[in-house]
Amino acid sequence: MMAEAMTAGRMMADDLPLSVRGLRKKYRRGVVLNNVTFSVRPGDAMALVGPNGAGKSTLIGCVTADRLPDAGSVHICGADPFADAARAAACLGYVPEQPFLYPELSVAELLRFVSAARGLDEAASAAETARLLALLGLAGAEGTLCRELSQGMGRKTAIAAALLHQPRMIVLDEALNGLDRTSAERLVTELDTRRANGAAVLISSHDLDFLARWCTRALHLPATGTWRALDGEDWEAWRRAPTLAG
Amino acid sequence: MKLLLLLELRRLSDAFRHPRPAAWLGVVLPVALAVGALWAAGASARPDVSTGDGVILLGLLVAGPVSIQAYPILFRPTDDAFLRRLGIHPNAVFGVRALRLLALALALAIGVMIPYAATRQPLVAPLSIVLAAGVAGWAASLWAHAHAAASTVSGKRPSLALKSLGPDPELVAAGSLVFAPIWPVIAGAVAARFAGDVVWTMPLRLALVLALSAAMLPFAARSFARALPRFAPRAGEMAYAPPPNATGGELVVGRGIASVLPRAAQAVRARDAVVIGRRYRWAARLAWPVAIVGALAVLRAGGSPGVRTFVTLACGATLAAQAAAIVALGRSERGRTRWTDRVLGLEPLDRLVGRWAAAFGLALIVAVPLALGWWIVGDGDTAWVWLAAAAVTSTVATGASLAAAGR
Repeated sequence: MMAEAMTAGRMMADDLPLSVRGLRKKYRRGVVLNNVTFSVRPGDAMALVGPNGAGKSTLIGCVTADRLPDAGSVHICGADPFADAARAAACLGYVPEQPFLYPELSVAELLRFVSAARGLDEAASAAETARLLALLGLAGAEGTLCRELSQGMGRKTAIAAALLHQPRMIVLDEALNGLDRTSAERLVTELDTRRANGAAVLISSHDLDFLARWCTRALHLPATGTWRALDGEDWEAWRRAPTLAG
Repeated sequence: MKLLLLLELRRLSDAFRHPRPAAWLGVVLPVALAVGALWAAGASARPDVSTGDGVILLGLLVAGPVSIQAYPILFRPTDDAFLRRLGIHPNAVFGVRALRLLALALALAIGVMIPYAATRQPLVAPLSIVLAAGVAGWAASLWAHAHAAASTVSGKRPSLALKSLGPDPELVAAGSLVFAPIWPVIAGAVAARFAGDVVWTMPLRLALVLALSAAMLPFAARSFARALPRFAPRAGEMAYAPPPNATGGELVVGRGIASVLPRAAQAVRARDAVVIGRRYRWAARLAWPVAIVGALAVLRAGGSPGVRTFVTLACGATLAAQAAAIVALGRSERGRTRWTDRVLGLEPLDRLVGRWAAAFGLALIVAVPLALGWWIVGDGDTAWVWLAAAAVTSTVATGASLAAAGR
């Protein structure tokens, strides 16, 4: 009986793009995340809301294996990013707030490297690269060195690199910052298409109106106090008057 | 691995594919100066390989820097998180970083051979010694640091030796890393001594050192693969420096001799001195002990050529390290804080003079005690060379720093 329940639980966790259980993270200045538990389902667009220093980037860091949790578990498509990094990486597309791009490579070279490192089919990824570059308004910039890109163009390149392998879990940390309006709208449309196909999005942004308009749920991290999942009626109430106070 | 090597080649060839004066200046100039200094130093920078002490010193000269650089090369490259997110296997990552460290070891080996070539000494014996020390230090560095990283995140209770580091639990948790650089230094010294006997067995001894070093690599790779997923994020957190609490000096504009500078240059000097003091605190921390020990050594045994060689090398290395901090300051400004100087309307000359004054002030920590020591032991004719060396390294470092900062 117990084995059956465990198997069922395991299957559910495997199906989920992201599952976080009992996450705890402490820095010298104190506990930032305390027993945070939530999951992101296929098709979800989950907002991460909170004031500066509340732990949004720390939470994202724990999900993307850039921060080591003190306790708790993270599973991306059922894979622990610390124990099964390759499987988690195959499922995750992440755009950090300050993305890393090799300054010595051109946009096309960087995306070719990403495609090869992920073991994608060459022809298919070339077509997908071209489509994403056109979508994000980067067509014609393929030969530009990454060190010569503007902030917005660099972010677009990072977004293309993160979406190239059709990830099931997309994590965006302030990823819409610096994007022109047209590109941002096209990106949102692209994300909607991917969500319709089963992908999920976890997004951190200070643009509360956008989050209220676009997301389906939220996780609120206050500056002090306990985190709160905004779901159902709580979410509807929040989106009518979005606020950092939760 | 092949893909990462191609990426490495592509990145390394950038300076040739897109030549920029700043990039060339930042790389070629320090290298040319270092080679020139070693060539000019000749006999005084060349340990005597006919003695055991000389052989060990030669080994330490190669193994020491390799040991110190192993941690940043293995665990702190800028693309570390990016590569992990791409799901690249840790063995491939380890392979590329091990090759980077080997390249450093070989470059150091070539560097310490320059004085022998300059003085037309037989090269076979010192070459065997530096190769043995370099490769042994390299392999031991890889193993020791990977093993230490793995034990840092193993969750095991810290040993008594680690607990003796102090009451800070984070320092105790990272204690294995504190001791990790010791083993490669010992390995380098032992390998140098073992391979250093000038007899017909030298090639065999060198081959044995190389074989033993190669045998360590699978263990190092295994530890690295075990450590990387959990240690890499920890390494990022350990690199975090808490906000300075009035350490590294406060920003005071126009103090002391600097008050003769133009006001804008005074501001640049004060800002740069504080930033270097806080961000590259090691540059100042390194200088004081070297200056004090160096001056005392000269005062007590300044007549001995061996002591003078040692002091010259130690202080030269310290000046070079300080110059590296100045250049690093410029690199950190590229695309970031450099804009503030532009917005404030600071002229290039103000930046040059201000940064040079900050760099020269840092270098004087080493140069003044040494010059005084040299002068007191009766070598007043050459004491000024230390001040000149401080001025020259400051000038070169400032030029490279501003070039690295870009427009």
